[in-house]
Amino acid sequence: MKKALSKPPRWIYWAAFAAALLGAAWPLLAPAHKSAFPLAEVSRLPVLEGGRVKPLDSFARNALLVIRGTQSLPVEGKTMSATEWLLEAMFKPEAADTKKIFVIDDPDVLGLLGLQQNERRFAYWQLEPKRDEVGQQAQRAEKLEAARRSRFQSAVISLSRRLDLYEQIKNTIMVSGSDDPVSELAVFSTALPGALRAVHAPKTASTRDRAAMKALSELLERYRFLARAAAFRPLSPREGEPDDAWKSVGEAVLQPNGRPPHPGLEAYALMARDYRQSDAKAFSSAVNEYASWLDLERPGEARRARDEVLFNTAEPFVSGMALYVAALLAVFAWWATRRRDVAAAADGLFAGAVLVHTVGLVARIWLQGRPPVTNLYSSAVFVGWVAALLGLFAERIHRKGFAIAGGALLGFCTLLIAQHLSASGDTMEMMRAVLDSNFWLGTHVVTVTIGYGSTFLAGALGITWVLRRHLVAEPDPETTKALVSLAYGIVAFALLFSFIGTTLGGIWADQSWGRFWGWDPKENGALLIVLWNAFILHARFAGYARERGVMLMTVVGNIVTSLSWFGVNMLGIGLHSYGFMDKAFHWLLAFGVSQLFLVWLGFLPPRFWAAEAD
Amino acid sequence: MRPNDAPLHRVTGFLSSMKLTLVCLALLMILVIACTLLQVPLGTHLAVERTIRSFLVWWTPDWSPVQIPIFPGGGLVGGVLLLNLLFAQFLKLERSRRKAGLWLAHLGLALLFVGEFATALLQVESQMPVQVGQTRDYSEDTRLMELAVVDATDPAKDVVTTIPQSRLRPGAVIETPSLPFKIAVKRWYENADLGMRKPNDPASEANAGIGAGLSVREADIVTSDDAQNSAAALIEPVEGGQSLGAYWVSNALGAPQGFAREGRTWRLTLRPRRYYLPFSVTLKEFKHDIYPGTDIPKNFSSLVRLNDPAAGEDRDALIYMNHPLRYGGKTFYQASFGQNDQLSVFQVVRNPGWLIPYLSCIMVGLGLLLHFGVKLSSSLKRIS
Repeated sequence: MKKALSKPPRWIYWAAFAAALLGAAWPLLAPAHKSAFPLAEVSRLPVLEGGRVKPLDSFARNALLVIRGTQSLPVEGKTMSATEWLLEAMFKPEAADTKKIFVIDDPDVLGLLGLQQNERRFAYWQLEPKRDEVGQQAQRAEKLEAARRSRFQSAVISLSRRLDLYEQIKNTIMVSGSDDPVSELAVFSTALPGALRAVHAPKTASTRDRAAMKALSELLERYRFLARAAAFRPLSPREGEPDDAWKSVGEAVLQPNGRPPHPGLEAYALMARDYRQSDAKAFSSAVNEYASWLDLERPGEARRARDEVLFNTAEPFVSGMALYVAALLAVFAWWATRRRDVAAAADGLFAGAVLVHTVGLVARIWLQGRPPVTNLYSSAVFVGWVAALLGLFAERIHRKGFAIAGGALLGFCTLLIAQHLSASGDTMEMMRAVLDSNFWLGTHVVTVTIGYGSTFLAGALGITWVLRRHLVAEPDPETTKALVSLAYGIVAFALLFSFIGTTLGGIWADQSWGRFWGWDPKENGALLIVLWNAFILHARFAGYARERGVMLMTVVGNIVTSLSWFGVNMLGIGLHSYGFMDKAFHWLLAFGVSQLFLVWLGFLPPRFWAAEAD
Repeated sequence: MRPNDAPLHRVTGFLSSMKLTLVCLALLMILVIACTLLQVPLGTHLAVERTIRSFLVWWTPDWSPVQIPIFPGGGLVGGVLLLNLLFAQFLKLERSRRKAGLWLAHLGLALLFVGEFATALLQVESQMPVQVGQTRDYSEDTRLMELAVVDATDPAKDVVTTIPQSRLRPGAVIETPSLPFKIAVKRWYENADLGMRKPNDPASEANAGIGAGLSVREADIVTSDDAQNSAAALIEPVEGGQSLGAYWVSNALGAPQGFAREGRTWRLTLRPRRYYLPFSVTLKEFKHDIYPGTDIPKNFSSLVRLNDPAAGEDRDALIYMNHPLRYGGKTFYQASFGQNDQLSVFQVVRNPGWLIPYLSCIMVGLGLLLHFGVKLSSSLKRIS
């Protein structure tokens, strides 16, 4: 019996591991969604938006996420991908205007629009009559500080911004509603040199040049508008131009700089015309021709854009979330059945989940060319990864499933939090000047975040201890001891990393602001984690806290860490307030209350409810 | 009576006790939380002064005319914790190889405390705004004022006498050997509303200079990080019992005021306290780059010319984010900018103890690594 326990069947472990990886790779292996247009090729075209070059796919997903809160759109029982939606919005706006993409939850905003509350998603044509009113209300609300705005004011600003974005998209490649962008472009390009002569030297201009100028004035106005309104810059720099000289359609048309027109200008105009005329074949050849020009001209960016589309399609963090849940359920099944083969399956699933999480993290690092943590979103991804990885190794010490359960729970929760944080747009946004230092992002931010992740893992073990105390009828002392010593080790690990991370932050601050320690809210938050972990270790060393004391203090550590991670951002002050967020306040409060409830449970006698039932 | 009951032993026992450590850690956590929350109404500087950089936290309730100490301040808790650390370390902790990591970590921590005390006492922060093309040889502390009395008779060289804010108390009469007259301080407002006097306003207390046409009212002091007080003082130069005119001076008044007397020209200004440097800094170029298609700042940088004739230095230096200029015991940081990118503001910091945290950081990090590493390997051995 004893021998069988110590030797779990290895093939079950590997089967579970392989199943996890297969599940994660499914989005890449699944047959592509059918369409007459070459969606995959279009989605890989690189464009510049938000200061960085990204594939159209990323822009489309983020825009749809901001506007609708999802990365795809259900239309008549089928799924419309973000790129499909973007093409329609850019090239056939009259059709896109009927898609219900604007989520409006605020009853007062609905009232302003004169809409009934039995729906929450609306199409652009439904909002258009009140567009100006929304804009004016938003402008009024913008004058207030974010913290002082009412719910209505915040909602109307959000709606107005989303409408702006949608309107910009419609006016990026061609003026919304124009019929034949190709011939417009041709007319404009031929007549422009003469017209420019007439503009620069009106007195000496020939009659022909003047006529050209007059004919162009309407088109000129249109392209000026395009230069202003564009949501992104689709035209790459050409040979001899600096790397960040991406242009919008309007800019490229208005400033030919004596060169032949940009090949992308014609390609996008052809795409627009062919899309409008549903000529998939011609559309395909325009896309392919431009894509091969880009491959020659900007090989690095074209490749990176392709890889980013792969990353977007795989959605490793979504599959990671599902795998963590699977691993957690498998651990519960193991505890319920006490079978070693179930344990091996849980182990394999969890290892697969951690690997998928790792692949996603590494892919982001590679795509962004940055250390793993650059904003609140990526800190959530990283905190979960640290906790899960630590759990994977800690499980090797005492094979009781606690480390897997804690790691999987945290992996799932943090990826869920990250999912919600990503709704505000591009998660690979550019770094503000003061943060633009890969060295410090790689050392201070990473170590501090490891401190967060490990403190949370210790807290998760604390929660396990509380639940076990009440749910397990006859806990065996050996397992309890293992759990406690595991938690103690992780608290020590957390103290090490949060201390080093905090002081490295001090050194960074000394380098950039001229003081080692400025008592900034975020610095104070990090210090609180250090102090709390030191408190736990000293209390245990002195014997004031034993098993229960240490385990309950690790649960309190969850509150301290969540306040340091998110709470200080809500104060809206300090040098670190770049991660400001207001919506999460209630969630944070609920989390704090739930942890205090668990601490209270821990103070009650074991299985108090069973004792009462007897 | 056992030797342990001797009063000295009781004191050292108390000072080295783990209970004291835990109490101090808990108090420190409460202080840090209070300091963080108080920054919302008070601003960072004042919140830190009141909670961390004080020995007691004071509170003045609405009904009470006197301040009541309600909590030990950061200085007290930190000091006791430092004592506790040292006593526990030297009296209780065994000197063995097994504990070497703890020794290193705790001594590093003590050094960190010492460094923080040194910073609180010795660090001087000031600002240096420079326009493109301008040369500066001083920095300013915008939180403290000084009254500058300038003898501007010689157009080639001003002779400046400064009087610090601490001496500008109402009723004070200031005498210095470098001035042929005394200065009587009539009023001092740390923050004031200054405006043109309207017909119905009471007559101004000043009878000379621009102040005669102003109405000056005391205002609540602002402490938030981005706001600045407009200090105002009503001063009256007096010679031989005879008034030379009463002037309102304020850092919010731009125009120079003054008087002529016995062939000498005098100017009076209230200005942020200046720290003169033995060298000068000229701003040659300021760059403010953004990411294309956004307004996210990518880089701020200032190209300056550093000129120190005494040291024979005359060279260009580039100050940008995370890359300050360290020179002459001072460090210049790119802090801010303005006036359509024509103005660059440097934070100038003098902190002789700036290296201490670097050192203590390394000590604690290595110490903890050693200690937990030893523990982990021994517990792993026990399991296997």
